[in-house]
Amino acid sequence: MDRRKFLTLSAVAVMGLTLAPAFKPAFGATKLEEEIQKRLGVQLSQVKEVAEIKLTAPTIAESGANVPITVESTIPIEQVERLYIFVDKNPIPWVADVSLTPMNGQVFFSTRIKMGETSNVRAILKLKDGSYVMATKEVKVTAGGCG
Amino acid sequence: MAVGAGILRVPKEAKKGEIVRVQMVITHPMTPARKDPQTGQEVPAHHLTKLDLFFNDKLVSSINMAAGVSANPFMALTLKVEESGVVKIAYEDNKGGKWEKTAEIKVS
Repeated sequence: MDRRKFLTLSAVAVMGLTLAPAFKPAFGATKLEEEIQKRLGVQLSQVKEVAEIKLTAPTIAESGANVPITVESTIPIEQVERLYIFVDKNPIPWVADVSLTPMNGQVFFSTRIKMGETSNVRAILKLKDGSYVMATKEVKVTAGGCG
Repeated sequence: MAVGAGILRVPKEAKKGEIVRVQMVITHPMTPARKDPQTGQEVPAHHLTKLDLFFNDKLVSSINMAAGVSANPFMALTLKVEESGVVKIAYEDNKGGKWEKTAEIKVS
């Protein structure tokens, strides 16, 4: 290896080392926000947390491959349009979305989801007037369930 | 059970205006696209993408999902029944599979 090649290579390596950590936290922090922006068209900070939504999930999940969650709400079904479920730290934070109509009678949805690691689960309701409200719960996962 | 086989459970009888629970379990691997850790080969994703719930052929709910839902997904929704009728679920996966399942409710 000649001197010039060595110098360019080391310069690239140094740049990579210094830039990588600077990029990483920013990317990790925005992944959920990006997904919410893409799916909902609003910022996560614009979604209000309300007490009317009840999100039931275990505090500690035995296995990340199978976490039972239930979303219920006292908000009248006529005012609700859609329900989204997100898991903050999953490779794809979006899990599912459900359209709801008055024929459902009430806001209720239950399923089982996968979680890669300990993180927040979010249930976001889209209301007819275009606003979003959510409930959050942290689930501790000891064995991840992705892949 | 074969992939796509499903169980749809609703109460047989209900009162008019009652809110009943509709439960379903579908046999499906729900795997994301990933690399096989042993061979290094790409394994394509295989998961359900959409599930629609109908009551008397009227769309009640529509669920979009991907591999974030557990294998052999279980789902539960509610349905307000005003008349006797047929509950139907129709679901499809990303490999073109399409299935349907029906159940009846008698309303008195």
